Amino acid sequence: MTRVVNVPSHFDARSFEQFAKACGDMTDDRLLFDAHATQWASPFGLVGLLAAGQWAAEHGPERPLLTVPGDRDVAHYWGRAGFFAHAADWYELHGKVPRVTPATSSDVLLAITPVRGTDDVHGVVESVQERSAAILSGELGLEATATMGFAMALSEACQNIVEHAGTSGWVAVQAYHWRRRLGRRVVVIAVADAGIGFRRSLEATQASRFGDRWSDATALEAALFQGASRFRDPGRGQGLGGIARYLNRWSGKLAVRSGAARISIVPSWDDDQPLTEGLTPFPGSQVLMIVPAQEAQ
Amino acid sequence: MQLIDLKAILQHTVSSAYGDLVTRPTGKAVRDGIEAALDDLDTEPVTVIDFSTVRLLDYSCADEIVGKLLLEQGGARVFLLQGVTASHCEAIEPVLRRHKLAAIARDREGRVRMLGAVPEDARKALSALTDRVQPGSPADNDALVLPEGTAKELLQLLRFSGPRDPDPADRHSAGAAE
Repeated sequence: MTRVVNVPSHFDARSFEQFAKACGDMTDDRLLFDAHATQWASPFGLVGLLAAGQWAAEHGPERPLLTVPGDRDVAHYWGRAGFFAHAADWYELHGKVPRVTPATSSDVLLAITPVRGTDDVHGVVESVQERSAAILSGELGLEATATMGFAMALSEACQNIVEHAGTSGWVAVQAYHWRRRLGRRVVVIAVADAGIGFRRSLEATQASRFGDRWSDATALEAALFQGASRFRDPGRGQGLGGIARYLNRWSGKLAVRSGAARISIVPSWDDDQPLTEGLTPFPGSQVLMIVPAQEAQ
Repeated sequence: MQLIDLKAILQHTVSSAYGDLVTRPTGKAVRDGIEAALDDLDTEPVTVIDFSTVRLLDYSCADEIVGKLLLEQGGARVFLLQGVTASHCEAIEPVLRRHKLAAIARDREGRVRMLGAVPEDARKALSALTDRVQPGSPADNDALVLPEGTAKELLQLLRFSGPRDPDPADRHSAGAAE
């Protein structure tokens, strides 16, 4: 039996919960991810869709299906963002896949890129630095040193996949003008995997500290605020805290979703909840980082 | 004084294609390279870890290269971090604090600063002392007035961060007199 999962027409971090709910348990039926009517997808939506595809392909009865967006411009954008190049690994694609190369437009700072190991992290950091420097300092008004912090945050987020997910993942970086929500330019980093998630990663070293309270939410809190790590090495577990410090300094946003919980560092311009529990479980971890243009003093 | 060029070690031990100190395995490989270099020249009293040619250093690499190196070798050797940038310090500072370590670093303009688990007034006092040797830098005499305990702590840190003084008591009195 095939079950249809509708991809939201405007697929981003806000509509991700609608998507996760539609995915539900991805192990019983063959899934058809229907993106035919999708009008727009953020990098967070696209890497999340890849994670869903991987999970369904690896744990479901058959390789899932995906209908390509019907709107030619939308499909071309997904192609330029590098989505189809990776989607073909996990989905049986239906519809017209545009023949475009993943690209290097001024806004796509990093097309969707797989993160499988240390070499990929080096590659991501190398390729994003020069392109992001012009946007971060030129267009967003950040100090020149912020470019290095941005690359550090990107590096640590990618390493979380390599070190903790137990599988590969994806990263994408893009610049936008958020006219309606913020009225400013932003740079967005989206990272996703379909791995074991924070709770399972930290369980062996942290669960006993929390007893009955151990959950996806407490695992996220421990990782973000207490620097908890699955390794007993005291030097471990600093990456996520470092990302949070960087984003705090530049009034940015950090949101980490894992399992059935999502934790956020919420800047003044956003209305997200700091912690949300009881979400529909979704495999792996998904990280969203947003750096906004600085307000004129 | 032995100079360790981190980028040269990176390219020698990991890959000539890499220019940034990112990821934990890379940091570990670089630390292994540093330790091998230290074994070759173990009579040098001071080892300068040179960041001048390093563009990016992330937290994981900072922990492997600076944190673990100082934990393992800091008791027996004297290290100075050289050529650090503000972003390098952002990675190194929390690593040192987490391990309750301190280090002296010289930036690319020659300014000396103390990083890590150091009392704030001791940090300011060191800046005031080192600024005095910079031509044209205003002296901050107030920063040099320290409680006795803090002064002792700072001097102890300095004693372990530079060539050994034959008579630490003399240094103590000279530094604390301000």
